[in-house]
Amino acid sequence: MADATTQAAHSKAGHHDHGTKRYFIVWGILLICTVLTVWTGYKDLGSLNLPLALVIATFKATLVILFFMHMTESAATNRIVFVTSFVFMLVMIFGVFGDLWTRSQMSLPNHVPSTEGPEIPVFEGGSLPPPGHHE
Amino acid sequence: MSSSDGHAHNPNLAHHFDTIEKQDYAARLGMWLFLGTEVLLFAGLFLGYTVYRHFYHDAFHHCSRALNIGLGTINTLVLITSSLFVALAYWGVKVGRIKLALGMLVLTILCAAGFLFIKYLEYSHKFHVGELPGKWFRAEELMKYPGANMYFTIYFLTTGLHAFHVIVGMSVLIWVGLRIWKGKYTPDYYVPVELGALYWHLVDLVWIFLFPLLYLI
Repeated sequence: MADATTQAAHSKAGHHDHGTKRYFIVWGILLICTVLTVWTGYKDLGSLNLPLALVIATFKATLVILFFMHMTESAATNRIVFVTSFVFMLVMIFGVFGDLWTRSQMSLPNHVPSTEGPEIPVFEGGSLPPPGHHE
Repeated sequence: MSSSDGHAHNPNLAHHFDTIEKQDYAARLGMWLFLGTEVLLFAGLFLGYTVYRHFYHDAFHHCSRALNIGLGTINTLVLITSSLFVALAYWGVKVGRIKLALGMLVLTILCAAGFLFIKYLEYSHKFHVGELPGKWFRAEELMKYPGANMYFTIYFLTTGLHAFHVIVGMSVLIWVGLRIWKGKYTPDYYVPVELGALYWHLVDLVWIFLFPLLYLI
């Protein structure tokens, strides 16, 4: 059974048997973090609640990916593929969030344009300048 | 010559792969690509969450108080523990301790069933009090917050899709478990166990983000 192929496969994939200790350590940290996030969730930290919850969740996710999913040992292509999906998720969420943050109020049906702020430009004559007009 | 003979006799090697290493490499890459698409699938729902939470900030806060944080916390712990069990099952197959691997896999599947049972308790309570998506929303005390029904739309879409993944993951692990039981996997060939475990970790991964965003806001 121990032909050349399996020998090679063994030496390639099997040499980093690190025992089970690290799984239990990661599990313990994940449990502590869960208790921590519930505890902080009950506290009113104002605008810090959400970032703190996300930091803890990201930390937990990183541990799961690195040690439970063995990303520390997986091929570089696999790392690139998975990390890229997260990058694009962040691009999508923060891209949309930028819009929400800066101009979503204007698009609401009950929005009353401010007469003081600079958000709606008012031109003499009450109409927009003709196309191609530059100040 | 001896090498090509070896391949012909390896029942785990598909004929279109040169070597078992190439087959394993392709299988792992395929799985990670699939997991990447899973991340993007849930990303759409997380984006929906972001948008509606921005518009209905107060409703989201008050509706999240209607969830049972105790049950949610227990479910988080159950899922994290199941992730440990499946990692141990993978390790067991890898080092040839098949009985240990089988036991760990059974524990993983029991955790998954426990998660679904607790989810069922939560869902049935919500159906009972009318905390339901969109036009089915009829929870009197939350009516005063505009957008409350959108919270429960997001809640049921995200946790529902996640619960579906739990069911799929359970099925995959049962299939893997049966094949371990039949002695199909050895320290020389365990990639299907590894990929099944990866899928299960992804299920855990999604819940790690869903739990604080839905329950603790």
